[in-house]
Amino acid sequence: MNPPETLNQIDAPILSIRGLHVRLSRDGRPNTVLDGIDFDLDAGEVVALVGESGSGKSTIGLTLQGLLPAEAQPEVSGSVHLAGHEIVGAKPHDLRTIRRGLVRAVPQDPMGALNPTMSIGKQLREGGLSADEVVDWLARTGLPDPARIAAEMPHRLSGGQRQRVLIAMSMAARPRLLIADEPTTALDVTVQAQILTLLKNLAREHNTAILFITHDLAVAAELADRVMVLYGGRVAEVGNTRTLIGAPLHPYSAGLLSARFNLDSDRGRQLGTLSTEPRRPRPDGAHCNYVTRCPLAEADCAERRPDLVRQQDGRQVACFHADHVPDLMARSREAPPWPEALAGDANALELYRITKSFGSGGGLFQRPRQTQVLAGIDLRIQQGECVALVGESGSGKSTLLRIAAGLLAPDEGDVSWFGGVQPQVVFQDAVAALTPWLTVDEQIRDRLRPLGLSRAEQTSRIAAALELVGVDPALRKALPSELSGGQCQRITVARAVIVPPRLLLCDEPISAMDVSLAAQTLNLLGSLRRRLGMAMLFVTHDLAAARLIADRIAVLEKGHLVEIGEPDQIISAPQAPYTKMLVGAVPRLAS
Amino acid sequence: MATYLSKRLGGLVLVLVVMSFIVFCLQAIIPADPARALAGPSAPPETIAQIRTELGLDQPLLVQYGTFVRHLAEGNLGTSIRTRQPVAADVLKYGPASLELIIAAMLLGTSLAFILAFAQTTMRRSGAVRLGMLAAGSFPIFLTALLLAYFLWFKLGWFPGSGRLDIRRFTGPTGFFVLDGLLLGRPDIALNALWHLALPALTLSVPIAISVGRSLNSALVDVLRQPYIRTAHGKGLSGGRIFLRHGLRNAASAPLAMLGLQVGLLYGNLLIVERIFSWPGLGLYTVQSFASSDLPAILGVAMVFGAFYILVTMLVEILQSIADPRIALQ
Repeated sequence: MNPPETLNQIDAPILSIRGLHVRLSRDGRPNTVLDGIDFDLDAGEVVALVGESGSGKSTIGLTLQGLLPAEAQPEVSGSVHLAGHEIVGAKPHDLRTIRRGLVRAVPQDPMGALNPTMSIGKQLREGGLSADEVVDWLARTGLPDPARIAAEMPHRLSGGQRQRVLIAMSMAARPRLLIADEPTTALDVTVQAQILTLLKNLAREHNTAILFITHDLAVAAELADRVMVLYGGRVAEVGNTRTLIGAPLHPYSAGLLSARFNLDSDRGRQLGTLSTEPRRPRPDGAHCNYVTRCPLAEADCAERRPDLVRQQDGRQVACFHADHVPDLMARSREAPPWPEALAGDANALELYRITKSFGSGGGLFQRPRQTQVLAGIDLRIQQGECVALVGESGSGKSTLLRIAAGLLAPDEGDVSWFGGVQPQVVFQDAVAALTPWLTVDEQIRDRLRPLGLSRAEQTSRIAAALELVGVDPALRKALPSELSGGQCQRITVARAVIVPPRLLLCDEPISAMDVSLAAQTLNLLGSLRRRLGMAMLFVTHDLAAARLIADRIAVLEKGHLVEIGEPDQIISAPQAPYTKMLVGAVPRLAS
Repeated sequence: MATYLSKRLGGLVLVLVVMSFIVFCLQAIIPADPARALAGPSAPPETIAQIRTELGLDQPLLVQYGTFVRHLAEGNLGTSIRTRQPVAADVLKYGPASLELIIAAMLLGTSLAFILAFAQTTMRRSGAVRLGMLAAGSFPIFLTALLLAYFLWFKLGWFPGSGRLDIRRFTGPTGFFVLDGLLLGRPDIALNALWHLALPALTLSVPIAISVGRSLNSALVDVLRQPYIRTAHGKGLSGGRIFLRHGLRNAASAPLAMLGLQVGLLYGNLLIVERIFSWPGLGLYTVQSFASSDLPAILGVAMVFGAFYILVTMLVEILQSIADPRIALQ
């Protein structure tokens, strides 16, 4: 690089954010999304930006690239200084120069982030690489046969391969700052670990600073030197990763940590959770943004806004009551135990030698291939028992769930349910699983029609069901579009359990959720199944969630059931090599 | 590709066979007697009987259909009652005029569609454009034609209102007068032909421009929101390059299908436009055949346009698969 920059590099941070405010309009109403961010990043440093959805973490990433969506009519004030360039108020031409060489991004969803009608090689060459450099960079991201990949079109590659391509695309520009916005959430666990390692190594090699945006503190812990916790557009806490995770000083960080479950969480009790769903903060007022959810809130929190204060150990916290947070952490370890379980002896679900194949592929020169998705699966779930089905995408777990639900016919084999009653299903995308033009009341009432109850009885049953899943019965008249994602998921659960089914099937119900929401949903499903005596098949790619919710874990690899057993046994002593790999790939909090 | 082409051409033959059957049945059912029409109203019964034998109309229907198909396979579409020429010869004579008009309308319509879509996609307030498109789209084609003729020809005299050329009795090697003018080294003829093309082509292009423009606009709006557009911005590429290289190609599929549909179904509008602008093409030929119940001519032209529609659809599918490699030709 040129000499003046080398001089800069020694003492000044590569990125310096001062008093950054961003207002974005949604449906014509301006909203403060970032409310005074001050932050420095050194060359080669890896910092994790942690927060729930709505915290403003992705907006920081977009602001740094000057890519805030124009339709949101962004108003940006403050200063963002990146390697000698001011980004706030920069001309479009200068912004393009900055994006070309100084700041690059690795996106959240690798499937959509590559142009489907342009070859991989061409998309990389657009960034100014020669054909040889393209192959070289693809090779450096660990892609096998890089020359072939360069000639491929994006749809021929897997999600992990595409994310490697995108990393190559970003790193090849040798940027000073790399923004990685949840780059692994859309990927399988085993691939996640590889991608994180790759990012870290490349950044170290090229002295690139990384701003790693995530909602998962464990992922942050694996990668980052420092962690910045963001809440309601303000910095709640910044500090060294180890100290922050070992002893958080902001009640929000503490809440995130206690809601975060892993392979060591206590299976005997429910998870600690953050108090309520995130409410829209009132960022302009003179008060702490977290006051509406904070278990430590006192009168002063609603009257004054806490500034970021540097502590003795060097980290900064914006909380008046930081000294009470250790007590809060201690209390959160004593979450309530699970309710008493009701169980029976009969089988709620019996799957006997299920096989299923799908035709796939087939182009100009090939016939469609028959791919076997399930190869002779035997599985029995007892009344009141929960079995978690784990495996990577493509393992056939969702297909098996759909067969168990009676939504898909197996090629061979038998499905039988206790009493012959079809089970209820809770799907991953709760918003899509609700009919948009029916109110909550109408969607749930449909399930009560066959029972011949009076209208008043139906209404009281609906109110009771909503109470059971923790939704305010006043929301009975709401449409799905007026509810949050978490509320929608609770409504789908209420709809499934209002007539308690013998068997509840859950398809990745928490995979798209923030940690706090995921913990709440696991608590809800875990309590309900015990109280109502439901058997449950819980499909997930998350071993930690499987271990917490289930009595047995079944591991599916390419359509074969490779291992089934008691959760702690599977995790502490996995037998199948595939299970070992899955267990090894789960990120853990370093403590 | 070869498999695809052979499959599609096989399909074309199949559709033509089915069409020929329908056409033949229509001929057989309709109580018009071609022999009497050919012989004229005052011909004695012997003459009519003789013509019936000559035409094979005294044979059983199945035999007649066999003859009909055999003739079709030889490119014989029958004989026009009105012009007394083979319909195939008439098609060759009037076809180039229509094809020239269709191509001009297609090019003009596509260019207008681009402008409309571009204006709608890039302008902050595109309400006026949208309103204009809605108004123009709600006009029936004969009204568009008459209004254009009234203002641009009758009132302002900017463009001619009828015919293909000012020179009478011009014949060129291809029958496409713009091309002929250039081939013969007479750019004045090419320009004159273009000048005559303006009004009928513009009329025909209005529905194409509006439907393709709307389809292109909604595809662009959708594509420009895709994450790969943000990736391209993240690379520091210029807005123009992103629009052309990443936006347009990904948005091509739906408007291409719309263009194919519109061009393939131009026949109906062609009848009206060629009649109004006295354009000596297949549309005018069909209108004149209607007037004299010239069934062989009408049905022959219908078959030609049926085949044209299938060919256009095939072309569109090939173009779509070139634009988007995920679409496999099957």
